[in-house]
Amino acid sequence: MTDRLRFIWPPILIGVLVLAAWQAIVVVQDIQPYLLPAPSLIAQNFFGDVSLMWGTAIYTATTAFLGLVLGTIVGVIMAFLAQRFIVVNNLITPLAAGLAAVPIIALTPILNNMFSITSRTPRVLVTMIIVFFPMLVNVTRGLVQVQPVQLELMRSMNAKPRTVLRILRVPNAIPFFFTGLKIAAPLSVIAALVAEYFGGPQEGLGSRIASSAANTAYGRAWAYVVAAIITGLVFYLVTIALERWTTPWADRSRSA
Amino acid sequence: MTDATQTAVLAEGVWKIFNEGQLGEVTALQDIDMTVQTGEFVSLIGPSGCGKSTLLRVIADLTEATRGEMTVAGVTPHEARQKQLYGMAFQQAALFEWRTVRRNVELPLELMGWSKDKRRERALELLEMVQLSDFAEHRPWQLSGGMQQRVAIARSLAVDPPLLLMDEPFGALDEMTRERMQNELLRIRRETGKSIVFVTHSIPEAVYLSDRVVVMSPRPGRITDIVPVPLGADRDEDTRESDDFFHAVTAVREALRGRVGGAEARARIGEV
Repeated sequence: MTDRLRFIWPPILIGVLVLAAWQAIVVVQDIQPYLLPAPSLIAQNFFGDVSLMWGTAIYTATTAFLGLVLGTIVGVIMAFLAQRFIVVNNLITPLAAGLAAVPIIALTPILNNMFSITSRTPRVLVTMIIVFFPMLVNVTRGLVQVQPVQLELMRSMNAKPRTVLRILRVPNAIPFFFTGLKIAAPLSVIAALVAEYFGGPQEGLGSRIASSAANTAYGRAWAYVVAAIITGLVFYLVTIALERWTTPWADRSRSA
Repeated sequence: MTDATQTAVLAEGVWKIFNEGQLGEVTALQDIDMTVQTGEFVSLIGPSGCGKSTLLRVIADLTEATRGEMTVAGVTPHEARQKQLYGMAFQQAALFEWRTVRRNVELPLELMGWSKDKRRERALELLEMVQLSDFAEHRPWQLSGGMQQRVAIARSLAVDPPLLLMDEPFGALDEMTRERMQNELLRIRRETGKSIVFVTHSIPEAVYLSDRVVVMSPRPGRITDIVPVPLGADRDEDTRESDDFFHAVTAVREALRGRVGGAEARARIGEV
């Protein structure tokens, strides 16, 4: 327990010191809010209407979550196909790499035109495409990278390919799945948020940050940024909790 | 002709050629004749590249012989694998880290469709045999290398096959652990009466464990000599310090050097 406290206190202390210094500099130097609002102003805006913050964050989080789930499903299915069929693998790998090179956020205006701009669909699609890539790459690696000796063992025990998939490849891929998800989850929040900058419904964090800044409500804009940070953090922490819950055998690497 | 049903392994004129007729053709095994009697312990020894592991893999049907006849427990290697007539252990324990020790031992039984209760019962029985009962619900990585290898041996015994194929199972262990594991293996062999084919590159290990040592040499991989080790069935730590043990070690060493003098050393075994 004392060990744990020793880990927790330093970052909290540093955080408090940084905030205090920030506040002091803004007050002493009389820095204008459009340059840098004081933490007190941001807090005032944040706690001034918590229910609005909450609702706004939930809207963006919902987009991110839908994109994350759909992108993960497609990525995992493609990974299984890539593992099973070398042809699919050869087809997917350059395609996925090409997709990763596309500035996907930049597709949002196009997707907004293709699908109804008034709906959530284009944003979910953007998030989905961004999530897809790390999931595909990591899960494929997990399915393929099994120890050769484990494959030989399975063969010596007369296991059919389908059994090898179930008994060896899938469990082997689970830690890789979570590696992908730990990258994809915070990314999905960023994607969902940035996609909102290109028009459409205004109730998300991205839209509100943009409009608050445009209306010179800088404290408010920053309060939404704080809400966005919290949302991303929640996505990441939930992923880690899921990982610990489903892969207890990997405790070793985590405790080390 | 030897009666195939009386033998654990029977190889007649077995060849294994990789990339035959192509660039980079390698003769891994050349005209191998070998018999392992039921209940016999035979080691394959030789420098790396001599084909000892390849020979074991042909027996296990992990690769196919290019030419020649191979019989395992009276049937083809393929049938032997399908009927699970052998259990196999490798240099790496190859345990599945997401399974507990007990469920690793259960793996072959699970693949054969045993019920949960029977599997569990059998696995606990085997863990008792390798003296790891207290670790049944541990994860593999919580065990030392020697303990992991004992789990792998328990797993290879799970379906109670008549034949054990072992590919340098103690190769990665330190000397002390290794000798302890050798004693364990001899005890398990006495208790179960398995036929065992054991690949190693340690001369003392081969001599201490085996009834016969098959000496192989590389390029092309072939059997150059077969050294009998008449040390009897009851071997213990004292055996390692006996003259007979020393003479047998010398005989194998000479055979490995391709010296005819091996016969002389062999003649000295049991002389005293």
